[in-house]
Parts: sequence; structure tokens; C-alpha cells
Amino acid sequence: MELKLSNLTKEFKDVAAVDHISYTMTTGVYGLLGVNGAGKTTLMRMLCTLIKPSSGCITWNGKDIFELDGEYRRLLGYLPQDFGYYPDFTVYDYLMYVASIKGLRPATAKQRTARLLKQVGMDKEKKKKMKKLSGGMKRRVGIAQAMLNNPSILILDEPTAGLDPNERIRFRNLIGELAQERLVLLSTHIVSDVAYIAKEILLMKEGKICVAGSLKELLAPMQGQVWSLDVSKEDAETYRKNYKVANVRIIPKGVNLRILSGQRPSENARPESVLLEDVFLHYLGEGMVEEDVSI
Amino acid sequence: MCRYELKKVFLKTGGKIALLLLLFLVGVTCYFATNIFYVDGKGDKKYGPVAVRELRAMQKEWAGFLEEEKIRQVITENRRIRHSKEALSDETRENEIAYSWGQGISEIRNLLNYSYASHFREYDYYRADSLSETDAGDFYANRVSLLKAWLDEEAKDTFSDKEKAYLMDQYHRIQTPFYYNYMKGWTQLFAFSPTIIMISMLILGYLVAGIFSNEFVWKSDSVFFSSVYGRNKAVTSKIKAGFCITTMVYWGSVILYSGFILLYLGADGMNCPVQADISGWKCFYNITIWQKYLLVIAGGYMGCLFISFLSMLVSAKTKSTVLAVMVPFVLIFIPSFLANMNSVFVNKILSLLPDQLLQMEAALNYFSLFTIAGRVIGAVPILLVVYAALTVAIGPVIYWGYSRKQIS
Repeated sequence: MELKLSNLTKEFKDVAAVDHISYTMTTGVYGLLGVNGAGKTTLMRMLCTLIKPSSGCITWNGKDIFELDGEYRRLLGYLPQDFGYYPDFTVYDYLMYVASIKGLRPATAKQRTARLLKQVGMDKEKKKKMKKLSGGMKRRVGIAQAMLNNPSILILDEPTAGLDPNERIRFRNLIGELAQERLVLLSTHIVSDVAYIAKEILLMKEGKICVAGSLKELLAPMQGQVWSLDVSKEDAETYRKNYKVANVRIIPKGVNLRILSGQRPSENARPESVLLEDVFLHYLGEGMVEEDVSI
Repeated sequence: MCRYELKKVFLKTGGKIALLLLLFLVGVTCYFATNIFYVDGKGDKKYGPVAVRELRAMQKEWAGFLEEEKIRQVITENRRIRHSKEALSDETRENEIAYSWGQGISEIRNLLNYSYASHFREYDYYRADSLSETDAGDFYANRVSLLKAWLDEEAKDTFSDKEKAYLMDQYHRIQTPFYYNYMKGWTQLFAFSPTIIMISMLILGYLVAGIFSNEFVWKSDSVFFSSVYGRNKAVTSKIKAGFCITTMVYWGSVILYSGFILLYLGADGMNCPVQADISGWKCFYNITIWQKYLLVIAGGYMGCLFISFLSMLVSAKTKSTVLAVMVPFVLIFIPSFLANMNSVFVNKILSLLPDQLLQMEAALNYFSLFTIAGRVIGAVPILLVVYAALTVAIGPVIYWGYSRKQIS
């Protein structure tokens, strides 16, 4: 089981949304991290055969996925970032319809739909119209539809976007359960979504993968480069200008800064253990997103 | 899959409203089509089933072959009525009483007005009143001679010699005498058939317009196209759904409409030639009323299918439901603007546009001829064959275009 990206490029007019990416994935969860506009969705759309690459190729077990066509899509489950649905369908009808276009026989479709509805906690809502569901419920139906054909490749594009913290934890656990024996590619701009469950994490910036590896491998080079420092409010601004600051926290005597630096920024600075968001900031040059604070 | 595609269309509030609107408009059209009156012996107008019964009974008295003797009797009866003191009176009620006597022969009297006109394109309501019994023998001969005179003079540059010969041949070939019967059910049905078919088409345009584009509007395109059948069978099922919707909605409204009109007004006269009715007197297609009905509904179906498929093609190509909804409007209403141009060439083109299929009743009466491989042929058979072929051809174009869509 091998999904291989070789020199993969997608250009829109003069802009390369995906720029010469080469990478190989097998079973397990792969976390794709990047800021908005990094090219994550374009990459995922190519992996789902929704758009063709400008150059390069994607192979599944050595065969081009666009040549495999339906044979490849039979193995695929996809939850897009903008998860669209048929507003007047009930949850059950929606899943049965998706099952039919995924080539499931009606008896199998009924079985799988019933099982997945329970698994995502939507069995009591199965007669509700899709348009009446909350954002979290829609996402759960989204993951259920992606799992209907028991896919070998599960591609989830920003699956936790718009969910509240409880929903996100629940969702993350669900993905962890589903990840056995399959390849899961999970795109997000929320660091903690992948920190706990990803086998490998890919950091994407301006269409390129700038760094990739396991959580341990990503954290290791950053050891000894993360510091905690208490300063006055006036000094805080100077530190923010001179260092990459991962976090700012108000304390009674002033401000606590989380600083990324190869050198100890101050005599009073205390070394801290490295977190994934520090790596995110280091490579992508932007701070963690707001949602992370609550996790 | 097709079942779910149908659900997508009919579960929408807009889809339900469109069907209810169609049902309402069919009802309104049926009301106007059956709203005929009869004037009784006292000069009072009557409506409803009584009027239908009385008018039918009166006209059925004159049913039979329109032989010279029968034409003579109609001329005599018409003169008797027109010269009665009631007809000559200044009192409206007296005139109405005279009118009531003529209701049995009114349809044949209309044919006399055409047959004995001074020009092919003339219709003089009072022409029949100036006829004498000795004119009866010219009833069928006039039909041919008026055409000949028209082709030789007014329309001499409109048709080629071959086309003129074809028209003359068609007029000569028709079997005479015509069989006449009460046929109000059919004439009313034909009169409102373009309305019902065009209403059905506009509603259909709305229903099928979103079949392809709504996947993008609802943002369900990614899941659709990443599924195993998303680029083959699921696309075919959308085309099938469009075909099923067009078939169900069209035949539903046409059967409802025809059934109601014919049950209410009667289906008598179906074997009469179309020329035995005023609306078909000049028609060069030698067919019966029943055959005309089949052509009208088959043409309507063909037209609806073609326009529905064209809407679906626009929907699939542009991803825009709005543009797709506009297709029927453009195809139905643009030709009516162009019709004002007095050009033989433009008229020939117009007679081949798909809106003609929706108003086959009128298309059958147009003198629109084409010479293909040395053979003269009317526009009606061309319309049926060409648009059937185009509809069949559009299917693969939709499939080919949609199944290769990229998600931007």
C-alpha cells in the first residue's frame, strides 16, 4: 500500500499552488499542516482526482491514479473542506445516495450506513434533513460518507474547521479509531489536531513541503531553542521585535513570553520543552491559531 | 442512483412549488378550453355541460360526408336563417335566436367562407351568406383553384416550381368528400395545446436546470466526483433523471389536459380529415384529426426533450442554474421577435426552430417546404427527425463534458 507523489506541481495561471512535491505515504495518519493558502486543498484535490496536476504524477502501488480512474476512487474516502450536501435529503438518504455512487450494493449500503451512523453518533438524527443539522453534525455525516466504502485511503481536508473544542476532541478520537489499516491524510491549520494522532507530519508552505517527519523527529532539532521569560509590559515589545514569540501570557508582574531562539534570550529565561506549535512557528513563520489555546 | 437524482429535484421546495404551479396552470387552461357556450331557442347563452350537450347534438345532426348535396343543404339552411326576420331584426335578442338556429351548421359555414373566398388568404365571415345552391358543386374545386391562383401570383417567388407542384399534388391527393362530425373537443384541445406544452416546457426548464449545476451550487461536487461512479454511472443517472423528469412531467400534464378536455367536450370527429375544420382547411398535410393529435403531442414531447437536454447541457457546461433556466425562455420567445421580419429565408429558418415543435398545431398550417435530395418535404417531418437526432446527440456531449469536469 503506497501512495507516491513524484515532482507533483499544480499551477494556476502563473502561481504554483503545489510546487514540485515528492513524498511517499503508506498506512497510518499523515498530518498536513500549513497556513491558509499553503496549497493543502489543491494537493488533496489532486489526490482525489478532482484536478489534474500540471506536471508530475501520483501513483498508487506504482500505477498512475488518473489511469486507474474508478479503480482508484473505489479505494478513496474524501471529506472536503467545504463539505457540501443535498439540503433536502435526510441524513439516511444522503448516506444511501453516496453509497450508491460509491458502488455499494443496496444491502451492503444499508448495513454500512447503519453502522457508521452509530459510530459517528448520528443514528438518532438519521431522519433529520441535512439542512437542519448543526455544523458539528454535518461534519460527522461528512466523515461517515467518507468511510462508507471502507476506504484504503482516507483524505480529510480541514475536518475540524468550525467545530467547538469538544467536537474537535471527539472528532480526533474518531479519526484515530478509523486510521487502523488505512492511509489517512489529514489537512489542518490547527496544530493540535495532528500532534497526538499523526504518524508523520508534513509542514507545507507556499506549495512546498518544507519539513516532514514524525512528531519526535520534528521536535528534536528544536530542543534547547524554546524559552520562557517573564518581562515587564514595556520590555515585551522589544522581545517581540527581536525574537519569534510563540505565546504571550499576561501575569501579575508583567508578561510571560514563549520565545524561540538558538541563544538564551536573557539570563532570566528558562528552557521549555518543545511543542509542535513551536515547530509550526519556526518553519512557517506564523503563530499557532487561536483554537489551540483552548485545547 | 436515478431515484436519488429525482429526489434531489422534487424534494426541493422550488421543485414542489413548480409542480403545484403546473397543476394550477393546467387547471386554468382546462377551464378556458372548455368554457364554450350555446345559445338556446330563446336567445339565452348557456355554459357548462348543458351547452356541450346541446351544441354536440345540433352539430351531430349535420355529421356525415360533405357531399355536394350536403353543401347545398347548408347553403339553403344558412340563407333561411340569414333572411329570417329574427336575423334581420335590430333587436339583439332576436339576432341571438337566429344565431341559435345556425349553431348546427356553423363549422361547415366557416368552411364555406374559406372555400368561396376571392383570395387564398381571405376570410370573409359573410361570404357564405352570398352563396346560392348552384355554387355547391365548387366546394372542393375552389380549394385547389384558390391555391393555384395564390401560387401563381402572390406566392410565385416564395416557392420553387417543384414545391408548387408538391403543394398542388397534396391538394389534389386529398380524399373528398370530407367526413364531417362534431369535433369541438379536438378543436378546443388544439387551440390551447401550445399553451399547455409551453407552460410544461418552462416548468421543465426550471426542474432540470439544476440537475448538473447544483452539485457545484451545493458544493457537493467534490464528494460526487471523487466517488467511484462520479465520472461515469452517476453522470449517466443524471441524464436519465432529466429524461425521466421531462417524460413524467410532460406526459402527466398532456394526459391530464387531453383527458379532461375530451371527457368534457367529447372525442367525436377523430377520424375526420383536418381539412374538415376551419383551422386545417388549408393544411397540405393530408391527415386525420387523430393523426394531428398524435403529431401535436409527439412534437411537443420531442421539443420538450430537446430543450430539456439543451438546458442540462448548459447547466453541465457553465455550472450555472440561472443560465440553464433561461434556455427555454430564449428558445420560445426569441423566434417570436424575429417573426416580424418579412423575409422568406428568415421564415424558413424560423420554421425549423425548436419552438415549432411546441406549437405543432401552427406548424402544420405553415406552408414551409424544403427540397432535400430532390424531394420536397414539409417542415414537420424535418423537425421531428432533426430534433430527435439532436437530442440523442446531446446526451453524450453532456456525459463527456461533465464526467471530465475539474473542481476549481
